Amino acid sequence: MKNVFTIVKKEFSRFFRDKRMILTVILPGIMIYVIYSLMGTVFANIGATPKDYKPKAYISGAPASMSETLGLVLEVEGGIADVDSAKALVEDGTIDVAVVFPADFEDNYGGVKVPDVEIYFNSAEQNSSFAYNLVASVLGAFTKPAFTINAGGGIYNLASEESSTKQIMSMMVPVLMFALLASACMAVAPESIAGEKERGTMATMLITPVNRSEIALGKILSLTFFALLGGISSFIGVILSLPKLMGSSINLGAVPYGVGEYFMLFGIIISVVLVIISAFSVLSALAKSVKEAGALIGPMMMAVIVLGMVSIFAPSASVGLYAIPLAGSGLAMAAIMSMTASPLGVALAIISNLVVAALLVVLLAFMFKSEKIMFKK
Amino acid sequence: MEEIIKTEGLTKSFKLSSKQRKLEQTDKKVKVAVDSLSFSAYRGEIFGLLGPNGAGKTTTLRMLATLIKPDSGSAIICGKSITKEEKEVRKKIGFLTSELKLEEFFTPNYIFDFFCELYGVDKAVAANRKRFLFGKFGIDRFAEVKIANLSTGMKQKVSLVVSIAHDPDLIIFDEPTNGLDVLTAKVVTDFLEELKAGGKTIILSTHIFSLVEKLCDRVGVIIGGKLVALAPLAELTGEKSLEDTFFELYEKTTGEKI
Repeated sequence: MKNVFTIVKKEFSRFFRDKRMILTVILPGIMIYVIYSLMGTVFANIGATPKDYKPKAYISGAPASMSETLGLVLEVEGGIADVDSAKALVEDGTIDVAVVFPADFEDNYGGVKVPDVEIYFNSAEQNSSFAYNLVASVLGAFTKPAFTINAGGGIYNLASEESSTKQIMSMMVPVLMFALLASACMAVAPESIAGEKERGTMATMLITPVNRSEIALGKILSLTFFALLGGISSFIGVILSLPKLMGSSINLGAVPYGVGEYFMLFGIIISVVLVIISAFSVLSALAKSVKEAGALIGPMMMAVIVLGMVSIFAPSASVGLYAIPLAGSGLAMAAIMSMTASPLGVALAIISNLVVAALLVVLLAFMFKSEKIMFKK
Repeated sequence: MEEIIKTEGLTKSFKLSSKQRKLEQTDKKVKVAVDSLSFSAYRGEIFGLLGPNGAGKTTTLRMLATLIKPDSGSAIICGKSITKEEKEVRKKIGFLTSELKLEEFFTPNYIFDFFCELYGVDKAVAANRKRFLFGKFGIDRFAEVKIANLSTGMKQKVSLVVSIAHDPDLIIFDEPTNGLDVLTAKVVTDFLEELKAGGKTIILSTHIFSLVEKLCDRVGVIIGGKLVALAPLAELTGEKSLEDTFFELYEKTTGEKI
């Protein structure tokens, strides 16, 4: 065990001396926060009602009552010769909307033959889209629906903020965590295993009396820490930016997640990282260079991300399915975030991951002993 | 004399890929890199291994260093089998070859301490040894400089002291003076003589005839994986120079005219 500690110490020392590695692991979290927050701000502004804006409009053939009402919200442009000219002006953005009533509108209004009012607008112009919606809603008030839905002004969506947030978190957390942790593992595993092989520093360690299994375990433990650091930094970035990105549909403060949930989630995350980092390390050991390791790990990374999505398709899976390595962890994470997880199910998911990780460490140690794998040029 | 190395019928083959077959202009799918190699080396001896590129020298050294396993035959180092007691053998040997590199992010100071820990050297002993070796090779001056920022010669010096950090009984050196300037090369060769005087056994693989003539007690010549000559230096060369002797042996073994 002393040698495992020596290897871990060396890996930590190596990691913290390499500014590039630190940036690779920590920077994504900061970038995610900045980019998601910016995206949220941009999305919130798209389609927003321009303050005090009165759209410029051409109106033709409107009955007096409707013309008067539309005049309250639109700035009606006079001096436009005909509908075609108005359409051209909408197209080039000079005016926002052209509202054309048919000549027989008043004769047919309220009758059997339903008259059709044409509203020409330009969806590429934000003001024009706004004007279209404004005119459609104003004119909509003049139509007589057969019945109304939820017109009473009450609160009809009975979902609480807490249950909405739980639902969103249980769908998003497994997918995000799997993707972010896999990316973090991808950032550190090839450099530490294939990189050492490529640079010839691994062989220098292999001629010492240290057991290969101790080298493998030391590497896996330290890489797990670095990947956790990267994955959690990215996760914090996502969580902090979620309220900005999703607006009012999420309120983390409304969900009473307690120590138990965080403890179970952390346990699952560590076990997931152990499996992913061990699997990526095995593939890195097979590769002759960091570049080749990246190519080998790529498809497996995609598979890991897909496994994280299992919880979306099987939201109420039985606890027994939690025993499936990685996929079961996605289900367990979803259950934790919806506050329906049983400690037994979570323990099952963690144990199955630990068993797979242990088998992969043994395999890695075996690979470190193989001259074909370690020394083949 | 105490026998430090004893190899008997040591053999190692490698599969050749189609690319390698094309490169070596052969149809054979397997190359016998080392063929039934038997020799012994004794305490306080410098044993030279001479041979052209691809003769099997490096494969022999890698087998002795337990990096790769022989297909057949045996080798006993300090009474321990290289196939059955690898861990014990590794404690007894120091291996310096250009294949083995040091992590460039670390300083000589850190690297030395790290390898001493892996070899299980007591901290106080390691500190004394570091003081002695760093002083001997002038590493004190750049002990806190990252390996990445050192010159080739400086790196070679650090590799050398790291390879003997645990004070091994058998030291295997593959081209130890490669990349060194004449002054540093002199320090290294003098140090090899000191090690020999201190009772260490040294296996030296090199292309430099003068180095063999200066240092080695006995010389083994490997050509095509086979040990074609093994004798004390004076006995091997007689009146001729080592270079002439080697080329004669080469022409006789391969039938190629140099």
